[in-house]
Amino acid sequence: MMKDLIAKLKKHYKLTEPDYRRADLTFVTAQKDELRSLLIALRDIEGFTHLVLLTAVDWLEEGLFQLTYMLNNRAANRTLALRVMIPRANAVGDTIHDLWPTAETYQRELREMFGIDFPGSPRVNDEFILEGWTDMPPYRRDFDSLAYSLQTYRERPGRVTHDPREHMKKALYPDQKPEAAK
Amino acid sequence: MSLRDVLSPYTAWKHLFEAPVTIKDPIGREAAERYRGFHQNDLSKCIGCGSCEDICQNAAIDMVPVSDPKTGDSGLRPMIDYGRCCWCALCVDVCMTGSLTMSNEYTWVDSDPDAFRFTPGVDLKSWDAEEKGYKRENNERRLTGTHRPEMGMLEPEARIASFGEIVHGYTRAEAVIEADRCVECGLCVATCPAHMDIPDYIRKVREGDYEGGLKLLYETNPFSQTCGRVCTHACETACAAVHEGDAIAIRWLKRDITDNVPRERYFDLISKPDVPETGKKVAIVGAGPGGLTTAFDLARAGNEVVVFEALPKPGGMMRYGIPEYRLPYDVLDHEISVIEKMGVDIRCNQRIGTDITLDQLKKDHDAVVLSLGLNQGRSTRVPGSEEAESAIDLLRRITAGDKVPVPKQVAIIGGGNVAMDIARSMARLQRQKHGEVGVTVTALEDFDHFLADDEEVEEAREEGCVIYDARGPQEIVVKSGKVAGLRTWKCKAIFDAEGRFAPKYDASDEMVHPAQMVVEAIGQSADISLLGAELTEKLEWNRGRIRIDQNGRTSEPWLWAAGDLVSGPDVIHAVADGHRVAKSVSAMLQATRETH
Repeated sequence: MMKDLIAKLKKHYKLTEPDYRRADLTFVTAQKDELRSLLIALRDIEGFTHLVLLTAVDWLEEGLFQLTYMLNNRAANRTLALRVMIPRANAVGDTIHDLWPTAETYQRELREMFGIDFPGSPRVNDEFILEGWTDMPPYRRDFDSLAYSLQTYRERPGRVTHDPREHMKKALYPDQKPEAAK
Repeated sequence: MSLRDVLSPYTAWKHLFEAPVTIKDPIGREAAERYRGFHQNDLSKCIGCGSCEDICQNAAIDMVPVSDPKTGDSGLRPMIDYGRCCWCALCVDVCMTGSLTMSNEYTWVDSDPDAFRFTPGVDLKSWDAEEKGYKRENNERRLTGTHRPEMGMLEPEARIASFGEIVHGYTRAEAVIEADRCVECGLCVATCPAHMDIPDYIRKVREGDYEGGLKLLYETNPFSQTCGRVCTHACETACAAVHEGDAIAIRWLKRDITDNVPRERYFDLISKPDVPETGKKVAIVGAGPGGLTTAFDLARAGNEVVVFEALPKPGGMMRYGIPEYRLPYDVLDHEISVIEKMGVDIRCNQRIGTDITLDQLKKDHDAVVLSLGLNQGRSTRVPGSEEAESAIDLLRRITAGDKVPVPKQVAIIGGGNVAMDIARSMARLQRQKHGEVGVTVTALEDFDHFLADDEEVEEAREEGCVIYDARGPQEIVVKSGKVAGLRTWKCKAIFDAEGRFAPKYDASDEMVHPAQMVVEAIGQSADISLLGAELTEKLEWNRGRIRIDQNGRTSEPWLWAAGDLVSGPDVIHAVADGHRVAKSVSAMLQATRETH
């Protein structure tokens, strides 16, 4: 069934080779400028009425974000995940809040956690779960969690740590102290 | 606004008299079975590698001293600051031994914030024995790989046909996979006699910076090509990865660096430092790893260094003891040529006592370093043993290209690596001469206490050698002046109750191994006769070994000793000795320069 659907869609849209993960789950990558038209066709013609989720993957090395739109056809119990790639720099996606109202929430989340903008999406710039965040969006892979933690949270006084290698050197073969005679 | 919108909030009122679903007092309510609560640490399993501290994205973990460091255990244990911990459990996932887990306990009230900084397992808590909580699922969720890539090797059929090198070395892809498994804890560094910068050079492999890696290797070891092949790799026993999988293949990764730098580049990368000549002269006796490491260091410090070697070529046991199939001669030649490039003058065919005297060396130089190998084989002294060959002597003759007798059947006495070396060398010669292998190895130890490395035993067997364990030599059977076999008894125990060497045999279990040559490979000693009676008398001794201080200096102020002579048979110990002696000699030379 999924193969038929993909074949049908391929007549009108540019799609990559689909990845049939399970009988009821298929991933396929679409063109960014064909996304909206594809989503409407899937929702209104093919019965994929439910937006399961909208999420992103940071392909840092390639300079891309992947947006994944997971749609479900309840009647047929089939899930289709559409992927579109967008440039990572000044990342902007097309809002689909008018197609699925829940997309508004997902897009707010993506705005906050990945820094992907969805112009026109209601309250997209409102804080989602981070309060008073000033740093880089934290789901970006170049966000340094440790550095953020170190600069944001105060160190408890009195903490001392030891590097295992240096600690062993000091105890077992210090430079200054002569080694045990043979 | 519709009427429904106005009325719907009031529908909630219908729940007013129902029992609440919330819990009045949540303290004491047990969390889910795999909840990530306060940590537990099994101190007997923890090795203090600090991987938990490294991975923590909140800098919540400090490594604090709890016990004395020992091989493979830093003695440090993680102390956790729960003011920072976000309970993500990355520390549990990365833990190299599985010692660190989480209980499902999460409620704890205390008015002292410092109470929430403690060392799990050391500071005892009520949840220490709690079974529930977060653990790695079936130990499968490991962040680091557990197995090293298998090393490519010649098949037994191909390797027995020649003395060609057996081990291929890793491919780039294999080396990266292996280097990626290292967590860079550095527990191995203390165990390496030369304290090589192991985690740092493994990082160079990962980064593909082989030239930087080579420079790093040379900071601690001018015999990295050799050690990358034949090192006894004690470091790998101290490796954190050994607890839940294979140790990192440290030896092979070292070799990977040396294999990936073109030979001519060595001379650019390892150049002699620009230091003024000291005008001091040092003589080194023996061109093995100990002597040549001393020479390398002293020449780089601006001293004039001459190495006197009795045999026709330098390298000592690396050349004349280790078979070519484990360490090819061209590799050794290249490695030594880098040392010569530092200005070290190696004079071969110069035997002390015959070609030149120690007295002369003492007169002509400011210091003398003795770096003798263990080149005399020990004898079993069983009847007929005067007809036996010595393994170490036979190996030397094979390397030198001398014609050695190759009978169809050879029996070896001994179960160490030298026994395997001569067994496998003779097997190759037999194959060349007779087309088949006829080597029998008889070892005093049983297989549970075998001395040779497992891989040596396995490879020897693959090549057709037959190995008997727990066999004690009784007689080398000689018939009409010719060796005819080796008679052995079953060995029941090697040591007595006090731990002294006193083998006990079962005479009823006798075997005669037919052989036209019997080789003794039961240990080696140094030929110290070259010292001469006068010096032998003057020197202080310690149970048959020259007494040296912690820097390798003998009781004679002009004389140092390094290598197998004082440290037992091992390349990396000899290298470590060489550095130590060079440092001590340098300090002495510096002192004399300042007083003059």
